[in-house]
Amino acid sequence: MKKIFALCLVFVFSSAPAFAHTALMSCFDEGDGTITCEGGFSDGSSASGVDVRVEQNGKAIHSAKFSETGDINFTKPSGDYVVIFDAGKGHGVVVDGKDITE
Amino acid sequence: MKKLIVTLAAGSIFFASTAFAHFQMLYTPESALTKGGTLQLRHVFTHPFADEHTMDMGKQHDSQTLLKPEAFYGVHKGKKTDLMGTLKEISFKGNANAGQAFASEYRARGMGDHVLAMVPAPYYEANEDAYIQQITKTIVNVAGLPTDWDSELGLKAEIVPLTKPYAIWTGSTFSGIVKSAGKPVPFAEIEVEYLNHDVDVEKNAMGPANVKAPQDSFVTIGIKADQDGKFTFGIPKAGWWGFAALGAGPDTEYKGKELSQDAVIWVQARDMK
Repeated sequence: MKKIFALCLVFVFSSAPAFAHTALMSCFDEGDGTITCEGGFSDGSSASGVDVRVEQNGKAIHSAKFSETGDINFTKPSGDYVVIFDAGKGHGVVVDGKDITE
Repeated sequence: MKKLIVTLAAGSIFFASTAFAHFQMLYTPESALTKGGTLQLRHVFTHPFADEHTMDMGKQHDSQTLLKPEAFYGVHKGKKTDLMGTLKEISFKGNANAGQAFASEYRARGMGDHVLAMVPAPYYEANEDAYIQQITKTIVNVAGLPTDWDSELGLKAEIVPLTKPYAIWTGSTFSGIVKSAGKPVPFAEIEVEYLNHDVDVEKNAMGPANVKAPQDSFVTIGIKADQDGKFTFGIPKAGWWGFAALGAGPDTEYKGKELSQDAVIWVQARDMK
């Protein structure tokens, strides 16, 4: 029984970064045909190295990881698209291309 | 007899008006932004609760020329941007009079905190034959990422927040620490005022008063910091609240006159609904 509790604790702690902190992303149009998205967590920690992708009609058209400074820059797709910051199960952030302005 | 009454009345008006606190405003309509954008800023030296007089920023005792602010800048992710060039002179209409103020725009594009700091020129307050310089901070956040809100800018007089100034529910609290050239100020005297008027950024004007104070102690609320310069204040109503630590800074004289170098910070509370 104690072992189960210990395992639970391990689980709680190991998932803590994604659990306790909300994933955040903000994107803007650079006005030069590219989009910049910045990612991070609500405790101020960086999203550096975390997967981020651009999808069009449910298909990934661009996959990358957030840079050391926690951002990515990509060519603005024509038509509808979404940017997905994938911070693990249930912790993604989706930004609709329609909401990305200069 | 008539003369005496008039004199007494004038005296009481004089004393009543000096009871309300001066506050340098660094106003923007919204401090917690869901995404980046261009912010409207208004820099007005006023009495935010009573709005019975709008001061001319930079007023001097020995000249008719109003002095420009000493510094105005923004800090985002540790990077400082000079914003002096963005300031435009305006006449801001208070409910009693109009005063010299400034308007500016700030592009808060990057996610995170944008700390805005205004160091106005000392203002000559004729009623007190003294100068007041209120070094003021307003903090805006884009998309929830905390980055710079708790950083100390190294201002001569500064309130360093211990609570995110843009993430306060009505009924919760704001805490900060009063510093003079980086050192905490024990038992610092702090004045707290509610911005009791809607600011019209199109017309550069104050709207009518929203709430009425039952007595003068509620117009400017006086509190004190503890032995470590820390203070906590419960925020009873949504909107902007200003905190001014009086005479916190090390400079006590300007142009041969007494100077009160104050630290001001603005925080914004939101209703739970």
